[in-house]
Amino acid sequence: METREKEVLLKVRDLEVTFGNSWHRFKAVKGVSFDVYKGETFGIVGESGSGKTTIGRCIIRVYPASAGSIQFKGREITGRIPKELDREITQKIQMIFQDPMASLNERAKIDYIVSEGLQGRGYSKAQMQEMVTAALHAVGLPPEFATRFPHEFSGGQRQRIGIARALIMNPEFIIADEPISALDVSIRAQVLNLMSQLQKERGLTYLFISHDLSVMRFICDRIAVVHKGLIVEMADTETLFQHPAHPYTRALLSAIPQPNPDVEKNKVLEIYDPACHHYEQHPPRWQNIEPDHQVLCNEEELATWKTW
Amino acid sequence: MQEPILSVEDLHVKFKLRGKTLHALRGVNLDVYRGESLAIVGESGCGKSVLNKNFIGLLDGNGFIAQGQIRYYDALEKFKGSPACKQDGQGRMYVDLTSLPKPTDWLSIRGSEVCMIPQDPMTSLNPLKSIGKQILEALELHRGLKGKAAREAAIDILKDVRIDDPRRRYKQYPHELSGGMRQRIVIAIAIACRPKILICDEPTTALDVTIQAQVLSLLKELKTKYNLTIIFITHDLGVVANIAERVAVMYAGDIVELGLVNEIFYDPHHPYTWALLSSLPQLGHRGEELYSIKGTPPNLFQAIHGDAFAPRNPLALQIDHLEQPPYFDITPTHRARTWLLDPRAPKVEPPEVIRKLKQLGGKAIGNP
Repeated sequence: METREKEVLLKVRDLEVTFGNSWHRFKAVKGVSFDVYKGETFGIVGESGSGKTTIGRCIIRVYPASAGSIQFKGREITGRIPKELDREITQKIQMIFQDPMASLNERAKIDYIVSEGLQGRGYSKAQMQEMVTAALHAVGLPPEFATRFPHEFSGGQRQRIGIARALIMNPEFIIADEPISALDVSIRAQVLNLMSQLQKERGLTYLFISHDLSVMRFICDRIAVVHKGLIVEMADTETLFQHPAHPYTRALLSAIPQPNPDVEKNKVLEIYDPACHHYEQHPPRWQNIEPDHQVLCNEEELATWKTW
Repeated sequence: MQEPILSVEDLHVKFKLRGKTLHALRGVNLDVYRGESLAIVGESGCGKSVLNKNFIGLLDGNGFIAQGQIRYYDALEKFKGSPACKQDGQGRMYVDLTSLPKPTDWLSIRGSEVCMIPQDPMTSLNPLKSIGKQILEALELHRGLKGKAAREAAIDILKDVRIDDPRRRYKQYPHELSGGMRQRIVIAIAIACRPKILICDEPTTALDVTIQAQVLSLLKELKTKYNLTIIFITHDLGVVANIAERVAVMYAGDIVELGLVNEIFYDPHHPYTWALLSSLPQLGHRGEELYSIKGTPPNLFQAIHGDAFAPRNPLALQIDHLEQPPYFDITPTHRARTWLLDPRAPKVEPPEVIRKLKQLGGKAIGNP
């Protein structure tokens, strides 16, 4: 196994997020650990309710972590942190949202929406204007759009505005929470291309959250599969597709719609039933099933799942 | 020879908007056969929803049918003696859905004949009524059931859509259910009316991939059980490959290619179909640029000359900008509206992705 010489940008260790009060506690994320390397696209995949969005929001400090740590460039960013660090990471970590119809302020013009993050950072009006123009240019929109309102744009254009809003802060790390699931097929391609082009130009690191593995195969370098607040499997994208080990991953893979009628007609859906585990006597551990491919399982499962 | 249940002929639909006229459907011709599942594919704004809204008489107030006919070859006894009941060239009787005399006539079409499953299950259920009551409504209105019989029928339908513990679910409210379950309830309500045609308007876009696969297999099961004709509106070609027997590709208010599902996926001819297939992330390679269709769909406020897709088509011929191509038949079941099929046209090879898809045949993409 070769050691990765890549720089770790984000280090998440035993992250837990709990909602509710002391009577009704709900643990949405139950101890998640992963590293995101600089310049890569790391994918988190899972069904709705699996906690994938919660992980993303916790990294950007929208939700407080109830346990565990998140380190950005080696510095702790959970809990109480100094004001300067807070300012720094709100600039360096940005987010792109799922629904471009709902995530833009309907009453503000595009220049305000895009420049909002710059407010209070000591830029003059003219500077901001210039930066808005540059950000819009970077996502392929003409500068005239700055004086219009969100309702004048189509879904794809709005998503570009959402990306411009993240880019203007000159971030290093972008959390993209289902950025294309609300878009049309043809627009999806444009937005995906734009994202990978920006990654190449600016050396961005993405955390890509989605439920659609077919899109992730196209864009992600590594993928973590989340189920009920736990990462059950993590591997390089192609490894995961070639050798899925965990039954939940297999279920997700079998559900991918293939643009191929003959395959679809003979498709066998694998349905994941958590009752297939016997974790009472042998609780699962985080184990290497092959180099760079980890699964949450016990010894017995490790032996049976390794079929290649 | 399959028998059509619904036939659309040269349908033009226009909308009046801020003093201008928007030409939403530009001469659609389509036969829907009894018992088939037909998918209508296209980008948003191509008119696929508008086309289907005509079938249930729910066109928006500012829209009108400028020209054309929609023939429904069923429900004749309900319209006996009505001027809407006519005979076609082959002597078959039909109900003309474009000229129903009274708006209330739609009540005998909508629900019991043609029914629609809306896109978003989150917003299409009444949050104040239990789901049992909402299914009862449909049963009482369309099948005249009452009291205990209606209740039992509702519970049976809940079983049909594979809701576990239907007696308990009957009393629950929409907010207690997950997205996939809500979509099943919406399907249950539609099925409760016992329609002949079920229009599914992107029923799975709001759902997770795993739930989507389950809902699709449920729809296929219900289709056989209730003898449904399904019209499936979607922009997701993966879903189309799963459920459809025939596919109609729409662009800018017109059907540009129509054929059996294998013909559309393995031997497409229209450049727009090529473009749609090529832009699927499933067919792309990581690290390479994914094919995307340049430009935007045409402005339908203005008249379109020639092939509507020509301005975005890198392979467009000169004539594409001048004259609208007619339909060219490729097989008896497959036709496309492109000049490339004209015998005089230069030979244009489909893009590589399309050829690859053809070679793959029954093999899964990328999997060993």
